[in-house]
This record gives sequence, C-alpha cells and structure tokens, in this order.
Amino acid sequence: MRENDPNQNSSRRDFLRGSSVAAATAVLSQTAQAAAEEANAEALALQELPVATGTVKVTLQVNGKPMTTEIEPRSTLLDVLRHRLEVTGPKRVCDRASCGACTVMLNGQSVYSCTSLAIAAQGKEIRTLESFDTGPNGVPHAFHQNDGLMCGYCTPGFVTACQALLEKNPNPTLEEVRRGLDGNICRCGTYVGVVKAALEAAKAIKV
Amino acid sequence: MKAFEYVGASSADQAVKALSSGAVVMSGGTDLINRMKDYVTSPARVVNLSDAKDLAGISGDAASGVTILAGTRLADVLASDIIKKAFPALWQTTSEVGTPQIRNMASVGGNLMQHPRCWYYRSGFGLVPKSADGKHMLREGDNRYAAIFMTDGDALYAHPSSLAIPLIALGARATLVGPDGERTIALADLYKVPTSNEDSPFAAKAGEILKSISIPAAAGKNGSYEARHKQAHDWPLVLASVNLTMSGDTVSDATVVVYGVAPVPWRSKAAEEAIKGKAVTIESAKAAGAAAAQGAKPLSMNGYKVALLKTVVARALCVTVGNRYWEA
Amino acid sequence: MAANSWPEKTRIINTRYPRLDGLAKASGRAKYPSDEKPEGTLFGVVLYSPHAHVKIKSLDSSAAEKLPGVKAIEVIAGPGKTLRYHGDDIAIVVAETEEQARDGARAIKIDYEFLPHAATESQAMAENAPQIVNGGNVRKGRAQTTGKPDDALKAADAVVEGTYFAPVITHVCLEPHGLTARWDDKNHITAWASTQSVMATANELAESNELPVSNVTVLTEVMGGGFGSKFGADIWGTTAARISKKVGGRPVKIFLDRAQEHLAGGNRPSVLAKVKIAGTKDGKITSLVAETFGTGGVARGAQFPLPYVYSIANFKREHSDVFVNGGNARAMRAPGHPQGCLVMESALDDLAAKLGVDPLAMRRANLAPNDFRTPIYLNEMEIGAELIGWKANYKPRGSQTGVVRRGMGVALHQWGGGGANDKQVSCTIFPDGTIELKSATQDIGTAIRTVLAMIAAEVFGLKPTDIKSNIGNSTFPPGQSSGGSTTTPSMSPPCYNACLDARDELFKKIAPGLPGNPAASDLSLADGQLLVKGQPAMSFKEACRKIGMNPISVIGKSSQGLASNGVAGVQFVDLSVDTETGAVKLHKIVAVQDSGLIIDKLTWESQVFGGVIGGLNYGLFEERVVDPVSGRMLNPDMELYQLAGASDIPEIICHAYEPDDQKKRGVIGIGEPPTIGTAAAIGNAVANAIGVRVPHFPMTPMNILNALAKEGKA
Repeated sequence: MRENDPNQNSSRRDFLRGSSVAAATAVLSQTAQAAAEEANAEALALQELPVATGTVKVTLQVNGKPMTTEIEPRSTLLDVLRHRLEVTGPKRVCDRASCGACTVMLNGQSVYSCTSLAIAAQGKEIRTLESFDTGPNGVPHAFHQNDGLMCGYCTPGFVTACQALLEKNPNPTLEEVRRGLDGNICRCGTYVGVVKAALEAAKAIKV
Repeated sequence: MKAFEYVGASSADQAVKALSSGAVVMSGGTDLINRMKDYVTSPARVVNLSDAKDLAGISGDAASGVTILAGTRLADVLASDIIKKAFPALWQTTSEVGTPQIRNMASVGGNLMQHPRCWYYRSGFGLVPKSADGKHMLREGDNRYAAIFMTDGDALYAHPSSLAIPLIALGARATLVGPDGERTIALADLYKVPTSNEDSPFAAKAGEILKSISIPAAAGKNGSYEARHKQAHDWPLVLASVNLTMSGDTVSDATVVVYGVAPVPWRSKAAEEAIKGKAVTIESAKAAGAAAAQGAKPLSMNGYKVALLKTVVARALCVTVGNRYWEA
Repeated sequence: MAANSWPEKTRIINTRYPRLDGLAKASGRAKYPSDEKPEGTLFGVVLYSPHAHVKIKSLDSSAAEKLPGVKAIEVIAGPGKTLRYHGDDIAIVVAETEEQARDGARAIKIDYEFLPHAATESQAMAENAPQIVNGGNVRKGRAQTTGKPDDALKAADAVVEGTYFAPVITHVCLEPHGLTARWDDKNHITAWASTQSVMATANELAESNELPVSNVTVLTEVMGGGFGSKFGADIWGTTAARISKKVGGRPVKIFLDRAQEHLAGGNRPSVLAKVKIAGTKDGKITSLVAETFGTGGVARGAQFPLPYVYSIANFKREHSDVFVNGGNARAMRAPGHPQGCLVMESALDDLAAKLGVDPLAMRRANLAPNDFRTPIYLNEMEIGAELIGWKANYKPRGSQTGVVRRGMGVALHQWGGGGANDKQVSCTIFPDGTIELKSATQDIGTAIRTVLAMIAAEVFGLKPTDIKSNIGNSTFPPGQSSGGSTTTPSMSPPCYNACLDARDELFKKIAPGLPGNPAASDLSLADGQLLVKGQPAMSFKEACRKIGMNPISVIGKSSQGLASNGVAGVQFVDLSVDTETGAVKLHKIVAVQDSGLIIDKLTWESQVFGGVIGGLNYGLFEERVVDPVSGRMLNPDMELYQLAGASDIPEIICHAYEPDDQKKRGVIGIGEPPTIGTAAAIGNAVANAIGVRVPHFPMTPMNILNALAKEGKA
C-alpha cells in the first residue's frame, strides 16, 4: 500500500488518466467522461492534488490534544476514535447517521461521527463528552441526577447533543430541547429524564 | 465500504480537476457515506468539497434574489434572516430536514444531489429494481413510500430531496461547473427519470459539480406543508411547496411542487390552474388539492398518498395566507 | 439469620436515589463490553445471507484468506447447508482491522442455489405456499375451549367480529450482540460480553471450548440493552473464542452490525387474530372465539395469552405458529403479553362501543371476582381515570367531529415478575470499613447495582455510594439472569440477608472489646456511626478496624417473605388524530403500576417511563418490513425502522400504586409490566377519536388513512 500524508505535503502527482474503474457517480456519466478527460489532460497534468490513498498517517485534535494514528481514507471518525485512539465515549449503534449515539462536536457543531471521515476531520477541533465538565454545573451531572439514562449506551450521544444545544441556545424552551435532541434515539425510553436533565443543565451551566 | 483514494478539495476549481473517472464528490457525506457502507456506491476516489471555501455562503437579498452556494450547510440556511422572511417555503422545509446533526453536516447541494432513499435501491437492487424472473420489485413488493405519478414507467421510487420542492416552486436555477466551465439551468432540469439501473437520475454532465442555486427576487407569497409520520427524525411522506403571485387577494400566478409522489419533484399544473384567479380559502385550496390528485395512479400499497397529496397541497396553499384550519 | 420481612421504617429503601454508575455512563467513562479492546485485539465480521432461502452450492474463501490483515476465517455454513433467512450466518472473518475483516467477508465467493421462499406471513399461509420446513409452514395448536362459546355468541346482545394485526418488531438493543474473547493461557478464557447473563455466557463458552466453567470469566460491567435477546454467547461469541485460540490467544472482538442485529438478533413475533366477541347490555363479555396466528421465524414461539386479564366464561381459541424465512424470535420485554393485550383490549373496546357501554364500566364488569389483582385494577383504574381527565374529556366512539379529533383509550395488563430463590450475594466487611457486595448478576439498565447498594446502605447505616456493589462477573456467587422482571426480586433477598448476617457478625466480633462490654444486641448502626444502646460510640470505620486482619465475609441466600410476584397495571392514553393526514399526536399517557415494595423510586420510575415508551413505539412506529419479492428485510436500520425521538414523547405520568398492603408483599420486578398495555391503549384511543377501528398496528398515517377510506370516512 502506498503511504501518503496530506499534512506533510507529500502528495503524489495525479494525472487523472488511465483509471479503468467504473464510475459509480451521479455527477459523472460514462459516455462523456473520456472526452472531458482528454480536453483537460494537459491542464490537469500541471496540477498537484492532495490525494490520500492506502494507509495514511493523520493527526486529530481530540479534546484539546493532538492524537496521531494510521488510518485508511475510508475509516470513519467514530471508528478511529474508538478503535485507534481509545476514545470510547461515542458509541456505534446505527452506523448510518440516524440514532445519534456517535455524536461528537466538530468545530463546535454536533455531528454524527459514524458518517464523517476521519481524514476529513484533520485540522478541526473534535470534542467528545469525555471533555465535558463532570461537576455539578455540567450536563453529565444533570443526566445522572435526573436518571436521564438506563442502559446508558445512547447517553453519550444525548449528552453531547445537549451540550451542543446549550452552547448555541443557553435558554431553550421545552420544545427547543426536544427539537435539539431529535437527532438521537434511546431504546430504553429515557426521554422523560433526558428532557428534564437538559432543562436543568441549562439552568446549572449559568450558575 | 470499499477502500478509495481521497482528495480534500480546497476550491471548486480543484474539485473539478480532481474528478477523474470513478470519482464521486462528497459534501456533508450524510448520504454518500451511507451508500458506500452499503456498497451501493463504491467509488475509486472521493473528492471532498466540504472545506472548499468558495462553495459555502449565502448572498443577495429578497429584492434582488438570493444565491446559495452548494456547500452551504442547512444550519446556515436556517440562520439566514433573509431566507426566513422572504422564502418561508424554503426555510420551513429546511427546518424539517433530518436532525440537528444532519443539518450541521448536510449541504444544500448534497440535499439536492442525494440519491433516492428507495429501500430496494439501498438494498442493492438499483433504481429500477427487477428480480431474476423479471418482476419489478417495487411494483410487486412493498411500495408504501413509492410514487403515485408516472407509475406506468419503470422508475417508481419517490424523489428524495425535500429542498428541491420549495426551490423549484420559487423558480430556482442551478449553476453547474465542470471542465468546460459554468452553465446555469432551471433546477427542475437537474433531474431526470432513469430508465435502467445504469442510468443516472441527474442531468449533470461528466465532471460537473453543482456550484450554486439562485432564487429570483421574492414576489407574492410562498409556503410549504409536510405530512410525515414521526415528529422527530423522519422523511416527509408528502410535502408541497407553493409560490403565489397575488393581485390583491387573488392568485394571479401559482407554482405548486410536490414531494413524495413521483421520481422527480412533481409540478402540479392542475393544482396551479385550479387556484389561479381565486382567493385562497379552505374551499379553493381543497379544490386545488383535489385537482392535484387527478391522474394519480397509485401502486398496490400507496393509495393513501393520494389522500395525503390532496391535503398537503391544500394546506400548503392555506399556509401562505396564514390559515392553519387544521389547528383550530 | 434470614429475614422474612423488610424493615418497617426505611431511610434509603423506597427513596429516590440516582444510579451509582450514572455519572460514569453520562460522561463517557463507563466501559461497555464493546468498548473493551485488550491489547492485540483482532476484529471479527460476520458474513450473513443476503437471501431469504438458499442452499450453498460452493464456498471459496481462498481469495479472502490472502487479503492483507486477514488472520482467520471460520465457516459456519459450508457447502450443502441451507440458509433460511436474510441474515443467517455463513462465516466469520477475523482481521487486524475491522475494515480488513469486512473486505475479507466480501471476498468470500459463494454459489447459491435459490430455493422458493415464504418470507411474510401471508406468503407462508397462502394456499400454494412453498413449504419451507418439514412439517409445513402453519403449525396448528390444539384448540382450547371453555364453556359453550358458539351458543353464547348466538344468545348475546351484540357480537363484534374483528381482525387485529401487529407486525414483527425487533429488539434494537443499542449495543449490538457480541463479545470480545481472549484465551489468557492454554486453559483460561476471559470474555467481555454484552449479555443479560454472565453465567449462561460463561457456561456456553466453557462448553463450546471444552473447558471447565471455572476457567472462564465473563465480564459485563455495564451493557447496552438486551430486552430479552441476550441470554448467551450465541454462535458469534463461541466462534470468537474458538478463533482466539486458533490465533494464539489474541483477543477476538465480534459485535454484530446494525443490519444483522435486526435480522438475527431476535424479535417479537407478529400477531394476527380473527376474533368474535359477544356480550350483554350490562357490559358482560359472554363469548370469545379467536383464531390466532403469529410468526417467530423459522420456529415456533408466537404463542401468547388469550383471553387476557378478563374472566370470560365461554371461549374458544385456536392458535397457529406460522413459519417464515425470517430471523427467529427471542423473548422480548414481556413475551406474548403485548400481543395478547392488544387483541383482548381491542376486541373488548370494539364490543363496548357496539353495546354503548362505557369502556371503564365494561372493564370493571369483566374482571375475575376472586382474583387478587381485581381490587388492584379497580383502584388503579380510578386513579388513572382521574389523572388522565377521563370524566371531563372522554366522549363515546364516533361522536367526535372536525378535522382533528381527540380520543382516549385504556388498557389493562398483568405480569408475574417473581424471583428465583436460589441466588446468592456475598457481603464482605473489610477492616478499613469498605463494604463489598458481589454477585454474578448484571445491570442491563435496571439499576440492580444501585438497588443492592441501597439495601446494604440501609443495613449498615451508610450511603449507597459508600458500598462497592460489584456485579457482572461470572465467577462471583451465582446471580440471576436479567429477564422476565426477575432480577430485583431474586437478588434483593439474598443481598439483604448477606448484609444482615455480616452486620451481626461484626457486632458479635467487636462487642466484647468495646468499653462497658455491651452485648452484640446492644449495638446498632446509623448515619455512619456505631451506636451502643442507641448512643453514638464511634464511626463505622473505627468499628470495623476492631475486627482485626480478617474481613468478615458472608454469603446471603434467599428467604421467604421478602419478594413476591404478580402485578396488575392500567394505562390511559389521550391523543388526537388528524383525519386528513392520519397523523397521531399524543397528548398524555398515564401509567398506574403496582410492584410491591419499590427499592429505588427514581430508577423504578425510569423503568415505567421506559416501558411506556417501548409500548408507544410498538403502537405507533415499529415494523419489520419484509419484501415479499426478495424475502429480504427492507428496513434493517434505525431510520425506516422507526423509533420515537424526543419530539414524539408526550407528557407521561407515572403513578406508583403502593399502599401499605402492596409494600408488605415485598419486592416484585418492574421491567416488563409497564410496556404491555401502551400500544393497546393507543389503538383504542385512535378508534375512539376517529370512530373506526384501525386493525393494523402500528398506527401509521398509511394504516389510519386506509382504515378511514375503507369505512368511507376519509
């Protein structure tokens, strides 16, 4: 496998020709593709593209710390956190951007890490719930006190979604709390405690 | 997910250059990554547009029209006061897409270029799913979420993009950029109906990416209404957006576009004709809804969508004049 | 000495106490079995059937074996084997990374012979259906008959014929089934398993790997949900252990992907009931004749109780299990009861509507006169009716008008929930004052860890956080598997006895050395203090120091009088239905529930809320959708397999019915009962709102609009 580290600017020259792999894309149609390549071959040959392939060394900023590991471009941010960086707070549940158990904050926004590529998260600030305040003014405490959890497997995602919501909207209404947590699913059915916890955390954070 | 090579494009220009054969573009990734995980799409190369600085942002105003660059996140559309005030049809629909996380990740362009959610397609049977013995799986199988128009054809799924509905109703145009430069087309013309599994549901040319969407100046009233099952994360069953030009209380011109009823965003000329020349009342709106359902040919399980279509078109019209009769 | 009653006055028991591991869970620090990755861990991926019914003609794994990172391939179903459902196991591929293991699984080449499938109930029951198993698809059970149901039908004032259907739903445990297994040395296995039974999992791993069970340690510190589907190692776990041995002891981690979790991780059988129910004007049910069906996959298991709750003099019931090419059922939260409740309560409500009898009066009229539950139901119905506002807001079925119509519904349910009497808890008092409890049970989200600590804290006059409550280890004293609402009633008595005995031994040991030579019976514990004749003498820690080097360790066993079984339960639903869109808006759900003595009222309440929300999902959202053409499940995800999110949850009122006579019964489990009646009550509220029975669950816009259209009311 070829090694490539876009961070270290060691990208290989890419001439974009000679690829025989079938297109599986919406924006490219096979018929017109050859002509397009021909017309642009010269211009493209002059361009250097940051192509990452095979196994890639990446450094991710996780909870304020740089963490370096080797990944494939296809590795999801969630799998890299859990399998390679020992950051196991975010959980893998649906693995398809539906349930929210994998929620992390990327540059301050809540996102599904199961449906983010780790390679694309380089240079961004990644926050997981392990970095949240566990004291009496923090979101985890409010979940604990209000029993906003049972088996607890969805809880990291709810706590993170709640933290992201409160950072954007420190005074949410009940309705806004519900909407803010609609990207997460709990199977044990802890929503009553979760919503209470979110409302209470909103008050506590300001103390 | 099969292995692929990755290009993080810093500009639209670079992205176009990186689009080789077998490459796909990724924006928020919420659709593409799932398709790759399910081996529905297995590209040799992924070109990530999400960090391209020249692909994100909203400019313009209500009076002169608005341009939304394709990489603009849905959360940023919702944060736009101009869109909220001048184009409530778009704002409302955007607010109902996905979840907070998805709206933070997904882009307008990605929403418009997402692939159908049809469960046969996602199971690997293609957009025109046929069984080994030649049965059309969607016609013979579970078609509860499928189309009710154009069902004489072979593309029976429902078009997946919610945002296409208000945008087409608002007369939006799409600018594509490719190796031959830029071109601008009506957004509705971005979509086509595939006739086989090899066919694309998009009219974009080789190497083209969607660069921006332009909405003409706001005039008249616009609004959307969506019927769905869950209140939390869900897809619309049927969604309608209307854009009305008014003379006084009377509708002088109308565009009505519907989601969930055809393999493309469905323009209902019948509903438009029905409401033209009338004031929007519950009665005239319901008549337009009934007109919208003319010619529908539901499949074995989705007759209920005809009823939804009538209601949703009527309610989208009522929304524009502030009449929410069903909440009374 | 074993106790036979709980203390009259309690300080900790029967209060609201946050779970001990709550902060660890809420801050991402709790390590779940699927979070464990001991050094050298290899990743396993299961290759499963993409088809509903095929025979494997040939299987070639040679290309897969050569792929980078692939360490081992274990074939579960080789050539000649028949795969009976989408999701049936074929092979497990183990590699250095999960991505590589997936590539390996994709690279296994298989030739299939396609066999005709019957993947849905209607396919399997069709006249010319391919028979997918020897013995036929439809297994008719013996008819049960009591009284003279046919005569009673004729004599009744009203007869209702109804068909009620609810589809298969799946457990959707958020943490998938799986474990990480490691051969520590030639003779020992350690496994980190997501299981409802560390002991059963240890037994399975020992047996399948030919080790004495004492050489196997299964650890489940916390786990991410089971709901009845996780009682063993499963073939995935035993294979992981086998492969670990093959690769020199490196840990092998196998957790199912979400799709296979739906396909093969268990499910609740469907129910189809064709019912005739008859009654008299005074609201008495005189006859019930039911032909019922259900599928539990390629197996039996779809039986359910009917009649349910009510006493019916004349009934006839014929049940058939329908075999389909689908994953097999496993016990799911109150197995059989939600289905039985849904059929019984729907039919009863339809009869009440036809007779023009108030639904509450109808229910009161048909409770068994001599059942211990009857007075509980009557009281619970009264409390629930008040909390939901029945009198003010209930209107008879069909009397609502307008686009959006309000409806109210009610359902009664019951459960056993008793414990086993052969479980043990050890209690150790260390000289530094540490109290440690141990038992081989596990916390599946029910807070048993906290419940045990609360009991110990009560006895020792300490706080629950002072107690080390250690569970989730198969080598600890035998504990209960967590299913059927049996954990708390099984584990609380031996815990209480262990703590009492350890405390008494402490008193005996230290009394002689205390100033004034008090008798052991003069000593007591409160607020972290040792009391002599009621007067604080020293801290608990100081007292413990006096026991010398050796800890006091006691194994507690069960005893009569501390636990019981048998609960009732009533639920009410207030909702609106938009008759133009078929959308249901829940306004309020009231759950009135008894369960004897409640140890932790906070986590008990969470169980009730959770049960209601599980039932809400069954009533409104969940359905395993199977494609009749390919026989594949079409929604093995968490998107089109719909589950409620925060905005779908209405106000829920949980009322604990616990008068003194209930508390005196001792501890009874609560996991199952509150999930039983919710879907039935939702269905009844929808019928009440729109004046039409929606025969197909869940209550989707499609099913509601179809029902309205059929009655010409759309």
